[in-house]
Order: sequence, then C-alpha cells, then structure tokens
Amino acid sequence: MIPVRCFSCGKVISNYWDEYKRRVGDGEDAAAVLDDLGITRYCCRRMILSHVELVDVLSPYQ
Amino acid sequence: MEVDILELSDRSAKFVLSKVSTSFANGIRRAMIADVPTLAIEYVNLYDNTSVLYDEQLALRLSLIPIVTDAETYVPQAECDVCGGEGCPACEVSLTLSAEGPGTVYSRDLISSDPKIQPADPTIPIVELKKGQKLVLEAVAHMGYGRDSVKWQAGVACGYKNVPVINIQNCDACGHCAAECPKGIIRFEESGAKVSEEDILKCSLCRLCEQVCDIHAIKVDFDENAFVFTMESDGSYTARDLAINAANVIKGKAEEILSILDQF
Repeated sequence: MIPVRCFSCGKVISNYWDEYKRRVGDGEDAAAVLDDLGITRYCCRRMILSHVELVDVLSPYQ
Repeated sequence: MEVDILELSDRSAKFVLSKVSTSFANGIRRAMIADVPTLAIEYVNLYDNTSVLYDEQLALRLSLIPIVTDAETYVPQAECDVCGGEGCPACEVSLTLSAEGPGTVYSRDLISSDPKIQPADPTIPIVELKKGQKLVLEAVAHMGYGRDSVKWQAGVACGYKNVPVINIQNCDACGHCAAECPKGIIRFEESGAKVSEEDILKCSLCRLCEQVCDIHAIKVDFDENAFVFTMESDGSYTARDLAINAANVIKGKAEEILSILDQF
C-alpha cells in the first residue's frame, strides 16, 4: 500500500495514488500528472514515482 | 507587525510578514508545526483483521489520516480537566470501521461518533481487501501536539525566508547577471538591469548575480525584519485557522510567562 504521507514533509499523498495510477496507465506523462495533481515538492513526487504496489504479490500467502 | 497575503487557499498560504523579529517569525513557524493541537487516531481495537497488513501497520496508517479538528469542542487529553487524561467525550472521539473484501477500504469508510469530526480527505486508501478478507475495528482519536508525534502535526512544509532587497547601481548592461540568475527574474531596460517588484520575492538569495558582476553593480541583501512565509495545512484546519491558532498559542504562552513572573 502507498504510504499515507510523504516521509519528508508530511503531506498526505496516498489519496492521489488511484488517480495517478489510472492516468499514467492511460498513457499520460507521469511528470505532467504530478504537476496537475498539485504535488510540487520533489520529496512528495518521489513517494509516488518510486512506489511499488505489493498487495497482489503478498495476498496469496495469507 | 504587518501581514500581506500573497496566496491563500483552503490548504495552503503564502504571505509576507513584516516588521517583526526573526525570533517571532520562527516562533510562528514552530507553533504551526508543533504546538497547534489536532485530532489523530491513538488507540485501535482490532476485532477482525485478515488483510495483508499487520495490525500495527494498519494502526500506523490510520493514525496518519488527518482528521478535521474542532479546537473549541475538544481539549488535548493530557490537559483534560474532566477526566484527568484518562479519556472522556471531551477529549476523545471514536471511529468505527467494518469492511469486507473484495475492494479497497478508504478513509471515508470510517464512521465517526461525532458527525463534525471526519477524516480531512475522504479518499485515503487504508488497505486493499481481497475476496473473503475482513476488517473490523474501533479507533479512538485524541487531541495531541505535533511535538509528540507527526500524526498530530497540523502544519506541513511551513517555512520562511527573508524578503530580498536588490540594489543595482551604475549598471553597464553586460547581461551576465541575467544569464546567471537561476530564477530568471533580472530583466534589461535601457538604463540597465531591473528586477520588478513582484519578482523580487522569487529571489532565492543565491547571490550568483553578485559573483558574476565584474563591476559590483548589483548587491543582493535582505530585510532582517520581513519574511516571506509559505505554509500548508494537512487538512485538520484551514491554512487561515492554522496561522491564527499558532499566533494564539504564542499569545497564550506569553501570558503564561507574565502570570508566572507576577508571582515574584
């Protein structure tokens, strides 16, 4: 799961994840999507850019 | 003290605070980050959790969700006169959550016992549940201070810089400073280099223009008693309320000192 807040500044970033994933999946440029979502600082941008979703990998081993 | 608001929205603000000392500006900054109490989830009773996250991880995620705070109704738990810090309706709110997969559980699924107290963002994902996975819990939110934990920190990315003052004299219009300026705020007119009034605030005081000017025509300085403040709120208060609350916190502390001094 995407961390709720940015590790560095504390801004809530997890609520942008669904939209980011959908729009980048549709072929939009990641940087343009982040700008559009209002994620301006590079600490917050790396939270989303570098996130890897692991729920689907882990769920079979419950 | 003068305040000149440059930008103001629900969650963020930018303003010029002038005719104050550095320590006062820093006091406001620190109060916004650490001394304005907010609500955040502190205890979680988990009745059922078959999700992919451990109970502790789930509790951490819940605690970081900002909750819209009503500072008039609730008091910080440690200062609660009604219960003496044990937990009572004056200092606690209970939120319940019950969900079954498949589907993602969002912060809007938390059901609060006080309708005024709700998560600030409705779409924060808490956990993704697969088919058959269940989550039933009760979370208790307290008022607390940012100095104790980030979950109670209302101000996000609060900072200030001094208002820059740029003096240009005897400019020979060579153009080196404009080429060097990383913010691109130096423009050229017939009389030489110029920085417009609103662009001055963009100056980051890097002084690269000073270094490349061979004739020392440009001088970058700053006003020691004026500050460009940028602040953001996590959503527990509006940016405006957060700044006002921070000022009130400082005022309260100053009054406390006065009353202590009066005893001697």
